[in-house]
Amino acid sequence: MTGKIITVALAGNPNSGKTSVFNALTGARQHVGNYPGVTVEKKEGFRNYNGYEIKFVDLPGTYSLTAYSIEEVVARNFIIDEHPDVVVDIVDSSNPERNLYLATQILEINVPLVLAFNMADIAEQRGIDFDIDKLSSLLKVPIVPTIGNKGKGIDKLLEEIIATATNPGPDTSHLLNYGPEIESEIEKIEKFVDQEHELAEKYGKRWPALKLLEQDKDILDKGHGEEVIEAVARSVKYLTRHFGDGPEIVIADKRYGFISGSCQEAVKSSVESRHTASDVVDKVILNRVLGLPIFAVLMYLVFRLTFWVGDPMMGWMEGFFGWLGAVVAGLWPPGVESPVKSLLVDGIIGGVGGVIVFLPNILLLFLAIATLEDSGYMARAAFIMDRIMHKIGLHGKSFIPMLIGFGCSIPAIMGTRILENRRSRLTTIMIIPLMSCGARLPIYTLIIPAFFEQRWHGFMLWLIYVIGIVLAIICAKLLRHTLFKGETIPFVMELPSYRMPTLRGILTHMWERSWLFLKKAGTIILVVSIILWAATSYPKPGEDRLAALDEEQAQAVEFQYSIAGRIGIAMEPAIKPLGFDYRIGTALIGALAAKEVFVAQMGIVYSLGEADEDSETLRAKLASNYTPLQGFCIMLFSLISAPCIATLAVCKRETGSWKWAFFQFFGLTALAYVITLIVYQIGSFVAG
Amino acid sequence: MDITESRQLTASLEDYIEAIFWIVSAKGAARARDIAKRLGVKASSVTGALQVLAKKKYVNYAPYEVVTLTSEGLEEAKRIIRMHEVLRDFFVNVLGIKSKIAEEGACKLEHNIPKPIFDRLIEFMEFIETCPRAGKYWTDKFIKQCNLKKARECEKCIEQSIKSFKKERTMTQTSREITLADLMPKEKGVVLKMNRRNSVTKRLADMGVVRGALIEVERVAPLGDPIDVKVKGYHLSLRKEEAVNIIISRG
Repeated sequence: MTGKIITVALAGNPNSGKTSVFNALTGARQHVGNYPGVTVEKKEGFRNYNGYEIKFVDLPGTYSLTAYSIEEVVARNFIIDEHPDVVVDIVDSSNPERNLYLATQILEINVPLVLAFNMADIAEQRGIDFDIDKLSSLLKVPIVPTIGNKGKGIDKLLEEIIATATNPGPDTSHLLNYGPEIESEIEKIEKFVDQEHELAEKYGKRWPALKLLEQDKDILDKGHGEEVIEAVARSVKYLTRHFGDGPEIVIADKRYGFISGSCQEAVKSSVESRHTASDVVDKVILNRVLGLPIFAVLMYLVFRLTFWVGDPMMGWMEGFFGWLGAVVAGLWPPGVESPVKSLLVDGIIGGVGGVIVFLPNILLLFLAIATLEDSGYMARAAFIMDRIMHKIGLHGKSFIPMLIGFGCSIPAIMGTRILENRRSRLTTIMIIPLMSCGARLPIYTLIIPAFFEQRWHGFMLWLIYVIGIVLAIICAKLLRHTLFKGETIPFVMELPSYRMPTLRGILTHMWERSWLFLKKAGTIILVVSIILWAATSYPKPGEDRLAALDEEQAQAVEFQYSIAGRIGIAMEPAIKPLGFDYRIGTALIGALAAKEVFVAQMGIVYSLGEADEDSETLRAKLASNYTPLQGFCIMLFSLISAPCIATLAVCKRETGSWKWAFFQFFGLTALAYVITLIVYQIGSFVAG
Repeated sequence: MDITESRQLTASLEDYIEAIFWIVSAKGAARARDIAKRLGVKASSVTGALQVLAKKKYVNYAPYEVVTLTSEGLEEAKRIIRMHEVLRDFFVNVLGIKSKIAEEGACKLEHNIPKPIFDRLIEFMEFIETCPRAGKYWTDKFIKQCNLKKARECEKCIEQSIKSFKKERTMTQTSREITLADLMPKEKGVVLKMNRRNSVTKRLADMGVVRGALIEVERVAPLGDPIDVKVKGYHLSLRKEEAVNIIISRG
């Protein structure tokens, strides 16, 4: 039987050490992708053992196999549809009861199962002693103790997988007895279940009948006859009366009863330790007084690591792309202008490079997030912030990506991966651009000193950030009441024990996510950069028009002649009510590439050549051409309006559709337009 | 038939099972002297009772070792506790008896009620709580009548009951049961039932919040919500709006 391929699905509760077992089983031979149609990560890995080629599929971590979350549906559908040769359920052996709940459900589907009692060392420390043989015979499955992060028990597990694949154990679909009342209702429903139904064909009638009784939405929708649905409704009504609780609750109850019965016989807890080290840490970290300050400090550190530590590295990256641009430009003789050179240097290296320079920030941010997640703090952060976030219709976990948004929207949007609920995630993604990002700061630092007295500087900057936050809160509430309406996202969440994160685990996490950023956002951004470059460079005005002008003036004329410039000019009637002229309009178009480009573009249209945010001449020009109200409106519009193209690309990538990216683009721009319009009109009226 | 061979339990043996359940819930395992202390009996009678219960396979017991319940024992304990709760609620909510006396009465009566009567009692309680012609107002009236011994004013009463029925219809029913949200940090209780049925209660059941599970409030988040509870040996956090759906009995 050499050369045979075995497919193994790895199931288990979140925080059961599943990833470490997966890594130990497969080594470096891994592949990350998505399950079709959903943004749930799918990891596959391979291993040759004793002449067998074993393919491992890492299922999402779940507590149960109901249709409660996408993860559960994905995990269950994989087991049902793909029918793996063996399912390995990773059990956190320091908490066997809750972990075995999933195992009982897998047993009921009657697929070959092997249990890995992981983190056996921690269980031993906590004084939990297993009679493995006894438990194995009670549950009718092979059990292998493992320590995933130390690679112990892995060979034994591989042998057991092969043994189970070649020789599946006994039928386990009737392992649990739910007591006479429920069993007789299951039998009644079984009579109505169609023999030909796809589920009945594969798994017999008991499993679908049981699931129907649990009122599993996914199974109910799988094309059952009228009489089945009626029989289920009758049984549910009867059982609810009888037990005073719905059958799905009573069934869960019975499963736990079965597990605790088995554990009574086979698991001995010798130490009466009620307080683990993790509990002691929580006494401080979740303390009513200290909890918030500690959280604030940790968030400050994440922010600091991402931006202050990242910025010098970003400087090196910018330096590198500058150098690369110069090298490429050097391929042409000096003074010669060529469209290819311009495309390569200004379009591709400038555009794509401008986004890839964020890579250090993104790597560092994901490093920080992975550390917080793997150590167990992330769940606590959500626990601490949930009160506030829940008020605006979001989940406690939304806080972290929103905070990151003050640095840069791109890593922030990618950071929303920590949110399981799709509605909550979409809402967070939509409002993240309202957290004023670092690239808008140059605009503020240009405008504020140009129009406002020294003593108002700090206040104006503070005001603009606060406006962003307030708008984000309003938008979140609005979205949750309209587009992303639905029952509030419950906060039923495990607070896992603190654990020392492994370097390998963190680095893998960090790299997987950063790679997705490079690969996907990179390709879209490349295309967009080329389009933007073309729009700002073409068509070119004739030589005769530029003849009498110096270089700065020529740049201004060239820009106004280009598509982007023309759009800016054509836009003037539309933006006039906001207090903007065509110069601001064209600069705003340029700012789509990146917000800080606004400053450089203003420099160009005022024929000042290269300008930066400290340019006093540009400030003087602005102050003489516009009123402080117009200045404020520029900041307001830049804050709220369409985020940069890179953000939109990431939004598309993370939401899986252009629909949401366009919604964000037009929605925010419309919002910016309306608010700036109101402010400008009322402002000019009041000012007389 | 010898009593030790039948599955039938005497009232005192049921008390033992109940006591063992509460002690095991709190400490993980019960010792003979804990049981004696809780029930106020001699240690020697505990030994005798435990031997009988072990023979009937309700407890795991060997002399000088700790005692735990078997899965049958656990089922039995849950049944007795539910009986107790129902009776106590009936005494307190319908008959208006003081809770201390109601507890004692429930303890005495819980063992001897045949199942059909018990089921009917639950239905009756549901009925008078929800029937517009009875309702909370009716039972309150009854309790007042018992306490004050006043003459009846039937006409006025009917008028008032129509008024309060209309009012009740617009208001949501207020629960008189203790829920998880009522517990303070470091307090614990045992789950009796779920108040509502939705996907969250199912999820909670999947996570181990099932009938008979011991649940202890560890702490409240710094901002007052959510709460962190310990159940089945791990920490679970949930919002108070979710916790109010979990009916518990203080342990």
